[in-house]
Amino acid sequence: MSPHHIESRAVSRDPAPAPTPGQGERIARLLLAYSPLGALVRRVARIRASVHGKLLGAFLLIAVLLIAMGAMSLQSIASVARQSRLLDQARERVDASRQIEHALGLQMNFTRNALLLKDDATIESMFRENNRFQDTFNRLELGAPPAQRETIQQIRAAQDRVMATVARIASLIRDGKGDEAMELHLNEGYPLYREIATLVTQAVRTEEAGMGQLREGVEATYRRALLLTGGFAVASVVLALGLGFVISWSFILPVRAADEFLGRVATGEFGRSIEVPNRDEFGELAVRINHMSGELHRLYDDQQRASHQLRVLNAELEQASRAKSDFLASMSHELRTPMNAILGFTEMIRDGLYGEIPAEIQEPVTDIHTCGKQLLGLINNVLDLSKIEAGHMELALGEYLVDDVVSTVKLSLRALAVTKGLDLVTAVPPDAPVCVGDAKRITQCLMNLAGNALKFTREGRVEIRVDVVGENVVFAVSDTGIGIAPEQATAIFEEFRQADVTVSRDFGGTGLGLSITKKLVELHGGRIWVESEPGKGSTFFVEIPVRVAAEASA
Amino acid sequence: MKTILYVEDNEFNRKIVRHLLARTTYRLIEAMDGEAGVATAREARPDLVIMDIQLPKLSGLEATRQLAAAPETRSIPIIVITSFALAGDEQKAKEAGAAAYLAKPYSPRELLGMIRELAPES
Repeated sequence: MSPHHIESRAVSRDPAPAPTPGQGERIARLLLAYSPLGALVRRVARIRASVHGKLLGAFLLIAVLLIAMGAMSLQSIASVARQSRLLDQARERVDASRQIEHALGLQMNFTRNALLLKDDATIESMFRENNRFQDTFNRLELGAPPAQRETIQQIRAAQDRVMATVARIASLIRDGKGDEAMELHLNEGYPLYREIATLVTQAVRTEEAGMGQLREGVEATYRRALLLTGGFAVASVVLALGLGFVISWSFILPVRAADEFLGRVATGEFGRSIEVPNRDEFGELAVRINHMSGELHRLYDDQQRASHQLRVLNAELEQASRAKSDFLASMSHELRTPMNAILGFTEMIRDGLYGEIPAEIQEPVTDIHTCGKQLLGLINNVLDLSKIEAGHMELALGEYLVDDVVSTVKLSLRALAVTKGLDLVTAVPPDAPVCVGDAKRITQCLMNLAGNALKFTREGRVEIRVDVVGENVVFAVSDTGIGIAPEQATAIFEEFRQADVTVSRDFGGTGLGLSITKKLVELHGGRIWVESEPGKGSTFFVEIPVRVAAEASA
Repeated sequence: MKTILYVEDNEFNRKIVRHLLARTTYRLIEAMDGEAGVATAREARPDLVIMDIQLPKLSGLEATRQLAAAPETRSIPIIVITSFALAGDEQKAKEAGAAAYLAKPYSPRELLGMIRELAPES
C-alpha cells in the first residue's frame, strides 16, 4: 500500500463548519465583489504599515475632517458678527441722518418764529441746534462708506451755508430789517433747507439699501454655514464608515484565509500555501503560517515514510517469526523421529519382542530407555520454551478436576519417591469446584514442581496441597529439602538458572523446568512464588484462576 | 487377514512397526511419502492406515484429507502420528479426518493397542 493511500484515509475529520452568513455579512460580500471597495481593501492591505499605523491614520483623517468643519463654522460665525456690526453702524447712521433732519426742521421753526416774534431769546434759539449738528455729523462721518461720505460732506457744506444764512437773518432781524430777513429766508434759507432735506433722504435711502444687502449677506452666510456643517457631518460619517469597512476587511480577509487554511491543514491537506496581499502583521502571520504548514508537511511525510518503513519491517519480522515457527515445527519432528526409534526399539526389547533378554543386558537396556526419556524431556522443555517465547504456546482450555491433576502427578512420581525413600503426600479439599484451564499444562507445572521437590530432598517428605481461595485455586508444593536463599528466590524462575551451580552437579537438570512452569502459570493468568528457608525446605505456590478466561491465554 | 498401510519416510520407524506386527496376523504394506501413501491406499484398500504427519511430496494431513474425501477410501480408519510441534496439531488431525492420533515418540505397545482397537485381528 502506498503512503498516499494512508494519507487519504487519514483525512477523516471535517473542518469546523463555517458560520452561516448574516445580513451584514452578505452585504459586505456584495460590496467586496462588485464595488471599488474590494480593490480599495486590497490596496489598503498592501500598504506597508503596521495595523496600529493604519488605524491611527484613519482616526487622524476623520479628526482632520472634524477640525476643518470646526474652522469653517468659526469663519461663518466671524463673518456674521462682522456683518452685524456693519448693520448696527448703518442703523446708527440712519438715526443720525434722521436727527439732522429733525434738527433742521426745528431750526426752520425757530427761524420762522424769530421772523415773526423778532425777540432776542427766539433769535438765540436759532443757533442752539448748531452744536448738536457738529456732534451728529462727527458720528455720521465715522464708519461711513466712501460713497456716503461725499453726501455727508455736501450736507455739512449746505449746513454751513445754512448757518451763515441764519446768522445773516439774525443780524437783519436785530437791525429791524424784517422784510429783508424774510426775503433772505425765503430766497436762500428755505431752498437750502430743502436741499439738505433731499440730501438726508438720499443718504438714508442709500444706508437702508446697504442694510438690506447686509441682511441678505447674513442670511447667505447662515445658509452656507448650515450647508457646510451638514456636508461635513455627512462626509465624516461616510468617511468613518468607509474607512471602517475598508480597514476592518483588510484585516478580516487575511484572518479568514488563515482560518480556512489552518482548517485544511488540520485535516491533513498540505501542499498549498496561504496568499494574502497584506504587508502588515497579518502578512507576517501568513508567512509564518506557510512556514509552519511546510514544516508540518515535511514532518507528516517523514512520519509517513517512517511508518511505511515500520510496516515493511513488521512484515519482514512477521515473515521471520513464521520462519521461526516453521523451523520449530520441523525441528520438533526431526528430533522426535530418531527419539521414536530409540525409545520404540528399547521398549520392544524390554517387552521381549525379540525374545528373552540375557540378565546382564537387562540393566543397560533399561538405562538406554531411561536416558532416552530424559533426553526427550529436555527436548520437550526446549521446544516448549521456544514456543512460549515465540508466542505460539496456546492453551487448550477445558474443564478439569483438581483431584485428577494431583492424582496423575502422584501416580507418575510415586516410583521416584519410593526409590528415594521419601513420603509423597497430597491434600485436596473434597468440595473443590470443577475448574477451567489447560489440564495437561497444569499437570506439567505440578509435575515440574513436585519432581524438583523430590530431586532436591534427601530425607523427609514432599507434600502437594490444594486450597481454593476466593476465585483462585492455590497449589502448594512443599519439601524438607536444601531450601533456597532469599536472594535466589526470583532468579530461580529465569531460564537456565539453579540456586547454585554446584546444585546441578549434585542433582542434575537444566534449570528449564521452573522457567517453563512460570510462563505456563502466567499464560493461565496466574502467578508463582516460593517461600523457603535454606536447610529446612521450600514451598512453591502456584495460584491460578478457578475459571481461566479465554483472553487470559491469548 | 487384515492389511495395514504405514506411511512414513524414516526407515527406522518403519522397521519398528514392521517388527511390532511381525508376531501378529496383520499384513503390513509401506509407503515412503504422502503421494505414494494415497496411491497405495487406493490400490490396496488396507483395513487401517497409519500416517505420519510430516512427509515428503504431500503432507500427512493433506494425504489424510484426500483419503477421507475419496468415496473408495472414506471408510478406512486413519491413525495420524503427530509431533506436537505447535498447538492445534491434534485438532488439525481430527479435522483432516483422522480416527485417532498418537504423539511422537509413541510407545509401540500403545500403538499396537490402538491398531487392535480400530482393526481387530480376525
